[in-house]
Amino acid sequence: MSLVARNALIAFFITLVLAGTVAYAINYLNRARVAELLEIENQLSIDMLSLETQFSLLEAEPCESVASSTTLTSVLADFGSRLSYAENELGSDNEQVVRLKKQYSLLEIRDYLITKKLAAACNVKPVTVLYFYSNAGDCEDCDRAGYALSYLRDTYPTLRVYSFDYNLDLGALQTLISVSKVENDLPAFVINGKRMYGYLSLEELEKQFPKGALSTTTSVI
Amino acid sequence: MNAEILAYPFLFIAIYIESFILVTFLSKPARAARARLATTVTPSVAVIVPSFNEASTVEATCRSLLALDYPADKLKVVLVDDGSTDATPEVMTRFEGHPQVLIIRKENGGKHTALNAGIAATTAELVGCLDADSFVEPDSLKEIVGCFEDPEVVAATAAMSVHTPKNILQHMQNAEYSFGITLRHTFASVNGLYVTPGPFSFYRRSIVEKLGGFRYGHQTEDMEMALRIQQAGYKIENAPRARVYTKAPPTLRGLIKQRTRWVSGFIRNILGEYRGLIINKRHGVLGMLVLPTALLGIISGMMLFGVMLYLFMKNVIEALSVRVGIPFSYAFLPHGNFDWYYFPATFYILLIAAVLTASITLIVIGRRISKTPGTIAFGIVSYTFLYGMVVPLWLIRATSDVALGKRRNWRT
Repeated sequence: MSLVARNALIAFFITLVLAGTVAYAINYLNRARVAELLEIENQLSIDMLSLETQFSLLEAEPCESVASSTTLTSVLADFGSRLSYAENELGSDNEQVVRLKKQYSLLEIRDYLITKKLAAACNVKPVTVLYFYSNAGDCEDCDRAGYALSYLRDTYPTLRVYSFDYNLDLGALQTLISVSKVENDLPAFVINGKRMYGYLSLEELEKQFPKGALSTTTSVI
Repeated sequence: MNAEILAYPFLFIAIYIESFILVTFLSKPARAARARLATTVTPSVAVIVPSFNEASTVEATCRSLLALDYPADKLKVVLVDDGSTDATPEVMTRFEGHPQVLIIRKENGGKHTALNAGIAATTAELVGCLDADSFVEPDSLKEIVGCFEDPEVVAATAAMSVHTPKNILQHMQNAEYSFGITLRHTFASVNGLYVTPGPFSFYRRSIVEKLGGFRYGHQTEDMEMALRIQQAGYKIENAPRARVYTKAPPTLRGLIKQRTRWVSGFIRNILGEYRGLIINKRHGVLGMLVLPTALLGIISGMMLFGVMLYLFMKNVIEALSVRVGIPFSYAFLPHGNFDWYYFPATFYILLIAAVLTASITLIVIGRRISKTPGTIAFGIVSYTFLYGMVVPLWLIRATSDVALGKRRNWRT
């Protein structure tokens, strides 16, 4: 074999190895992402159960659980961001992504219910936003709405935003949609119980928040 | 379909070629070429300096040739004024009477005619060319002449760099030239060169005469001559330490004009008279790899640019559209800490990173093997961020010129 032919073969082999290494690295990174999501999800499940138990134990003084609840909501938001990124990378039909989305939605619903219970018991008025989106290609304004809510959540740490994929096949979510009477006109918002549809600007969203209910620094509820 | 997939074949080809260059660089013939010492034998040499309106640089070019470390009785400098309309003839008169300098004045006929006139006026064993805007290192001639100790070698090229790069565009070209040093050195080791550039390429006089002298060659007489040499089955070498510095266009307009001439000349030569070299086993790596890849490079350069521009614009538009109405400080400035989780490692981005890393490696290698002084860091930065954006400009212009049969003046 001539030197040129040998070098051409070696170069071809290097190209294959390099492309394979890149593919492996991406796969490894994605698996590490999913593993991290699973870990967060496990921890969240434990924390959520702990909070619910704490809430039951402290029936006489349920407001002792408020601080834990706020921390949990913030962790939940981080989990949501990571899950959304993983969905973009792995695709919305990826089995693990779908399973994690279901888990996430359940955790969100449970957190929402605890927040409501704490609000009633402790005489506080948290601002909660239920946000329904679709990534089936039928919601042009969903990305904009999601980004605006991320901005509001980062600006007002006490704001509680719960995002749900309207089309997710999950009984609890469909029940929430049903009891909240949210129609399939996305993006849809339920802000402190009030339903709104279509893209809302920052000003329109902020207008819906009770005056003085949100501060730009972290505090309990 | 994801548009990124369209870029994969071109990125694979780029990685393949860069791998081939690196493997060949490490092979025995290239190692032997790097180990070759400067010549101790000194055949007679004539350096032709074809000049058309080069009043500002021709004197320095000539003085750098006269400062070459080579026996004065064996070195002749032939200044050929190709009908200049500026002060070039007056500048040349400063060398009148110099025992090593011969001055020829002729009507304007193009660079190839100036070279032929210069060659005809000498009897030197080796003839070389130095563009009147280029300057040589004192030891460069001995490095080049060393290549001719191999009797099969009929032409040899030098290691080009940009003369005193000043702006970002010239620094970018300097990095590109450094890449070219590695490329030329490596391909020469397997006889794969298809250009003997104007700045300081040398030929055996007998072969140039046998082949009929320089031709117009679609304004790329240096490429045409090299292709003719290859077609005749001769060998072209490279001297990686024969440093020569050439003026690079300082403006984008000038650069596009220069490169349009080079690329359109290449396409016209290679698809015209020298079509027979492509995919021709008789011409080895040149026919089977270098020329097909160079042609493919023109197509893939434009395609890759198209795909990358589309993806970039799509991402920018999407990013802007979701950020409408959000305060600038949140939407466009980084916030939060670095988190590996969000590192955008896609197949497309990592392949581009691999191509770029290999390119930078080849640039650095070129700098090291040529022992060119000075730093290339700024050149690498400008090459990284600018080169991919400007190359398609002349690729598109050159291919459309060829497709439409448009011929441009050398300087317009």
